[in-house]
Amino acid sequence: MAVIQVEQVRKTFGARDALTEVSFSIPKGEIFGFLGPSGAGKTTLIKILTAQLKPTGGVAKVFDQPAEAMQQSAQKMRFGILTDNSGLYERLSIEENLELYRKLYDLPRSAVEQVLQFVNLSSERKKKTNTLSKGMRQRVMLACAIIHEPELLFLDEPTSALDPVNSAHIYKGLRYLNEKGTTIFITTHDMAEAELLCNRVAILYQGRIQTIGSPRELKRQHRENLIRVELTSGEAYELPVDGDTADRIADWMKRGLIERVETKEPSLGDIFIKMTGSELL
Amino acid sequence: MNISYKRASAIFVKDYKEFSRNYALSIMLLFPILFAVLFKSAGASLPGAAGFLFNSSFVLLTCFAQACLIAEEKERNTLRTLMLTPATTMDVLMGKSSLVFVMSTVVLAISTLLFGYEPANIGVFVAAIVLSIVLYTAAGTICGLYSKTLLDASLSIIPVAFIFMGAPWGAVLAKDYPVFGVLDYMPSSQLVHLLNLSPAGYSAGEVWPPLLIIAAWTAVLTLVSVVLYQKRLRDE
Ligand SMILES: Nc1ncnc2c1ncn2[C@@H]1O[C@H](COP(=O)(O)OP(=O)(O)OP(=O)(O)O)[C@@H](O)[C@H]1O
Ligand SMILES: [Mg+2]
Repeated sequence: MAVIQVEQVRKTFGARDALTEVSFSIPKGEIFGFLGPSGAGKTTLIKILTAQLKPTGGVAKVFDQPAEAMQQSAQKMRFGILTDNSGLYERLSIEENLELYRKLYDLPRSAVEQVLQFVNLSSERKKKTNTLSKGMRQRVMLACAIIHEPELLFLDEPTSALDPVNSAHIYKGLRYLNEKGTTIFITTHDMAEAELLCNRVAILYQGRIQTIGSPRELKRQHRENLIRVELTSGEAYELPVDGDTADRIADWMKRGLIERVETKEPSLGDIFIKMTGSELL
Repeated sequence: MNISYKRASAIFVKDYKEFSRNYALSIMLLFPILFAVLFKSAGASLPGAAGFLFNSSFVLLTCFAQACLIAEEKERNTLRTLMLTPATTMDVLMGKSSLVFVMSTVVLAISTLLFGYEPANIGVFVAAIVLSIVLYTAAGTICGLYSKTLLDASLSIIPVAFIFMGAPWGAVLAKDYPVFGVLDYMPSSQLVHLLNLSPAGYSAGEVWPPLLIIAAWTAVLTLVSVVLYQKRLRDE
């Protein structure tokens, strides 16, 4: 069953197209990465899927219902969201902020403790939110988004302010949630993160999805059919994959001249740049 | 329209904590009490003192607190975040309004006692005060919705203060300038009539028209605030 289904969705702001024509679907249990340069329309699509914006055209369905249904409390229980402009109550402590969410989702008291551990903030729980660092705020906002272990989780650049240790901690947590059945829709500018975390990624550019697939598939598709050989002498060759190359490599190998052989595989970042013609932002 | 008691009370508790730690705002609770003490010492015979005490408290406490609570959530983006949780617009509005209602009731009860005002009819007095608190809460909601920041909210209170607090005084001019007669239909003017009922005796005709006019204001402003609230919180 598809948790998210988007068909020819279009969104214009005034005369400008933010999304021209976007179609894809996300099955239950997937971690889906939505990539694209700044201004590509990633946040706009999340807003459409969570009923904060109406699409100009096309159909967006979540849980097999039109996205507008996401305004109902019963549907809101089923998803969690972390946006790039989520707000926290500044005069409340971390714990008090989470306590509000716990009550709104009607959860047992233990939920706050659990989620504090999840985001690695148990020992800072009494701190007022207005004294937190950017990365800590981001983790608190993430905690608010997942406290109810939603079926579907929207994460809009969840790790943009995190250090590698905390990112790794969050990835582990997200995988754990995912194993328990949470479908995750994530946008990020971090290609390594997308590659590490996502079952499938889509690259959005100029209002359309330019390519979609698992990171491995994409890399295979965009692989240039070359083998890179480095010799002990320091010389390096990029050779086509064919019989001649096989003979040359066999010859070098017999003579013990080979330092390294590798297929020339593009990284997700290379594919991103190729698709969008732009640098990573 | 769906309201959950649990969610509204969660919002109530949250707003209570935020409010009590926001000293710039919670100091407003002291104004009505301060006024009561001042007027009392100036002599209870001070004409219009009771009316001024109540009407200014409604504007400076009830209306102002509600406007600030809403404007601050907008300024900090927390309202938008809240709308993505199961909390409905009505949960949020009810949670906030009940906090403001409770605070206004307690503070006004204290200042009534301190001031030593004795109503001619306690039932009429309570009804008029309760209706007024609801009315000014709605006015505060409307002010908050049109403000983007706390500063806007403070400024938006000024016209409300001018119109509502000034009406009873303006209405006095009606003898010379009939246009000002309109001001007598303001809820604040009608409240003054009710506060001035003579303990020695009054007719039903002195009670019902003012009470009904205040009730009508309350109904209209509440309706407007709810509709505006639902409308302004939809898409950008
Ligand atoms: N409310 C709005 N009114 C007008 N234009 C908007 C609005 N929201 C977004 N846009 C425009 O739509 C386009 C897509 O914006 P969006 O925020 O979805 O980009 P994004 O992919 O999330 O970018 P980033 O990676 O920087 O977060 C941008 O050109 C933006 O200026
Ligand atoms: Mg964005």
